[in-house]
Amino acid sequence: MKRSHIILIVLIATAIGVIISTVGDSSSYETFEVAIENPDREYHVVGTLTRMDEMKYEPEVDANLFTFFLQDSKGEVHEVVYYGTKPQDFERSEQVVIVGKMEGEQFNAQKILTKCPSKYTEDEVEVTEHVAQPKQNS
Amino acid sequence: MDIQYVGENLLAGKLGHAFVILSFVGSLLAFFAYFFSTIQLENRETSWKKLGRIAFWIHGIAVIGIVVTLFGIIYFHLYEYFYAWSHASRALPTHYIVSAFWEGQEGSFLLWTFWHIVIGMVLMYSTRKWEAPVMSVVSLAQVALSSMLLGIYVLGYKVGSSPFILLREAMEAPIFSQTNYLEFITDGNGLNPLLQNPWMVIHPPVLFLGFASTIVPFAFAIAGLFKKDYSGWITAALPWTLFGAMILGTGIIMGGAWAYESLNFGGYWAWDPVENASLVPWLVMIGAVHVMNAYRKTGNSLPTTFILVIATFILILYATFLTRSGVLGDSSVHSFTDLGMSGQLLVFLFIFIIMGVGLLIYRWKSLPKTDKEESTYSREFWLFIGSLLLVLSSFQVLATTSIPVFNKIFGTNVAPPADPIAHYNRWQLPMVILVLILTTIGQLLKYKKSNPAEFYKKMLWPFILSAGLTIGIFIPFEIYTWQYILLIFASAFAFFGNAELIRQQLGKLKAAGAAVAHIGFAMMLMGVLISSARKEVVSINNSGFSYGENFDAKATRENVLLWKNEPLVMNDYRVTYTGDSVAEPNHYYKVFYEKLNKAGEVAYSFMLTPNAQINPKMGLIASPDTKHYLGHDLYTHVTQVIDKSTIKEQPEYAEPKAYTFKIGESDTIMLAKNLLMLDGLNTTLSPEMAAKTAGAEIAVSARLRVKTLEGEKLLEPVYAIKNGTEFRYDVAEADLRVTFNKIDPKSGSIELLIAEKNPGPREYIIMKALKFPMINLLWIGTVVLVIGFSMAVMHRYREAKRIEARETA
Repeated sequence: MKRSHIILIVLIATAIGVIISTVGDSSSYETFEVAIENPDREYHVVGTLTRMDEMKYEPEVDANLFTFFLQDSKGEVHEVVYYGTKPQDFERSEQVVIVGKMEGEQFNAQKILTKCPSKYTEDEVEVTEHVAQPKQNS
Repeated sequence: MDIQYVGENLLAGKLGHAFVILSFVGSLLAFFAYFFSTIQLENRETSWKKLGRIAFWIHGIAVIGIVVTLFGIIYFHLYEYFYAWSHASRALPTHYIVSAFWEGQEGSFLLWTFWHIVIGMVLMYSTRKWEAPVMSVVSLAQVALSSMLLGIYVLGYKVGSSPFILLREAMEAPIFSQTNYLEFITDGNGLNPLLQNPWMVIHPPVLFLGFASTIVPFAFAIAGLFKKDYSGWITAALPWTLFGAMILGTGIIMGGAWAYESLNFGGYWAWDPVENASLVPWLVMIGAVHVMNAYRKTGNSLPTTFILVIATFILILYATFLTRSGVLGDSSVHSFTDLGMSGQLLVFLFIFIIMGVGLLIYRWKSLPKTDKEESTYSREFWLFIGSLLLVLSSFQVLATTSIPVFNKIFGTNVAPPADPIAHYNRWQLPMVILVLILTTIGQLLKYKKSNPAEFYKKMLWPFILSAGLTIGIFIPFEIYTWQYILLIFASAFAFFGNAELIRQQLGKLKAAGAAVAHIGFAMMLMGVLISSARKEVVSINNSGFSYGENFDAKATRENVLLWKNEPLVMNDYRVTYTGDSVAEPNHYYKVFYEKLNKAGEVAYSFMLTPNAQINPKMGLIASPDTKHYLGHDLYTHVTQVIDKSTIKEQPEYAEPKAYTFKIGESDTIMLAKNLLMLDGLNTTLSPEMAAKTAGAEIAVSARLRVKTLEGEKLLEPVYAIKNGTEFRYDVAEADLRVTFNKIDPKSGSIELLIAEKNPGPREYIIMKALKFPMINLLWIGTVVLVIGFSMAVMHRYREAKRIEARETA
């Protein structure tokens, strides 16, 4: 066997290894139900905030503890624990993606991604302030 | 019905549109003219070439016209234009107007087009016999890029997105029914605060110059395939490839520097899809540089050279598709809006894939290939292996970054790895170790065939020195992960091996570019490893505790709350949040650091002012402040602050309450913070009070004892009647304001009004402080890498000139 063939085989084998590892490491967007069934795996859970008055962040007590309730796409609600600071304007998030796994009844989020109505990504004229002004002028 | 709007400057937009059309037509004409010259249509090669030049000049001038017009619209605050309105505002300083120019998608395409023109002009007058085919490819790319700005509808499809559309055309709002709407749109939406950073002025043009220069080797390769001149192009294309690799690499690192200076994820690299998108073609391009060299010296690896050069440019287009089509969506911190051009981007991607890959397959059989096996003791063999490793490394990044694309194609719903760093490290770490070791092995071998004994002799000193340095690093820095130790060794080995090569070549330093670049790369990797492996969280409310890798988020507790003016000891610093200074829209938090020595005394102190904007739309945007030492950086940023606008103004004292005391009876009342006792009444007033109440019928004080945390205080409010009028002299002390309100002689009691001080809101910040050791190695290594690249570019450029002179002679 020529050496170039050996190199080729090693190359292809590594490439296959890369693909397998990508598939193996990848997470998936799931609901709480799936996360409960596989408590060892990390999942992305997409949901909306609920029970807002039970959202808790007391920096005076612990600056690294934030808990809130999330309702997933199937309507299931779980408490989410996040060991970090509460993201600013978290209450206004339209959609929240949490990355992590279930620990008992709670979901331990390693990462929180929020989708806020953002000025810089949404093309929307702020009509509120512009509409108010003509009345003063007329 | 046409509404006549008041105050709009429509001329600028019309001019801009005209330039857009002209630039598109010019590039189209240049493409056809150069293409006809290439295929020698009607044997009028030279006149077609002449026409191509003229058309490319027209195209170039039109693009500069677009740039000037668009810049003018932003600079003169013409907010009737959507682009100016959505990316700029009046408060923006001039140098950030430049950033606003390329914040939008159209602006960055324009930047890219502009660099292609600069490069095209140089190629036009320097490539001689390659001009026609090379410029055909460049012009075709210009056709694609110019069409991105057209903003017209062809058969119902939107082609391009014009930067010159008006605000009222871009949006729908009731305000546009008024002819004088512009009077109410006085300011733009502003530049994303994250981009208001000096690095964002320089990073995009450099990165796009890197993007743009990848077209040169691609165009040469296509020209070579088309003209069946399979090897002549490589000498001419090599300096360009080196130049592109240098600039693209610099641009990527500048992006990292921006992230480190102004983003708050705490680092310079996050394996973010947008970063990856530029890294993937860069790795392949570095591979291409190496096989190009191998081919020139030995005639080996020609097919690989073609594949890598073509792949580089296609991956650049793919990167553009990834970042500009909106397909990445939520998976990136960079937010790019989809302008509905993903279809168009895909079309261009496929045009160039078909052109590059198709032509290569078509010519594959006739490509000269060598049957001879390279010797294991030859440089070209290891150059080839090293290039393959770079390609594999690039492939791994590409595969994971493309997950959103696979989701789109196969309709799956796979999320990126939950722990991207671990995922990438698993592959990138071994590959970079091998690549570093190969830089020394390859460099110390000769082309064709080396004497093994001589080779091992050369390796001896670098090996001994690297082993020594490795021990000298991993022990003091306490890096005990074997993969990391291997990486330290590999970096040191690359460093010393290439230094050895320079030592041997002292006579011809001009040719030492590669060795210098490899040394820079080795230093960068060393800096990356130490700064990330030994990254320390300083902001922990205790000292001497550091977390290893793979720590649990539960255990990290990286944030610490600092009450205003209350010092806190973290690690060997005493840190105090002392106050704020505001320069709208930036809010700087003054964090005072005192470095403590072993005895707990203050060795020296300094102030860091991390910045946060509380943006009404984007929430808290924190930018770190960093104390740079020679050996490490101390990086601080706020993660949460009190939104002061939510604090309600309240009076200093609460509403006073009335308390009645019987004279002669000892009475104690409980207040929120202290105890208050009435000792009795006193008619012997203090001299000051006596003066005030001189001539009064009655002047009496109540002797009140207040127990506070600091001890006991005596308060004596005074009640007086002078000429039948009542006078009351309050006392405000110990967080109380006491008024002697009245004396009731009938019941023998007095009334005191006591107001307690409202507890003011206590201000705090929550911050994070990180220590990055040896990060300067990364930046110094980058500079050395760029110096090495520049030397190589110059060397290869002179060489190409010499060869050309010999050929024409």
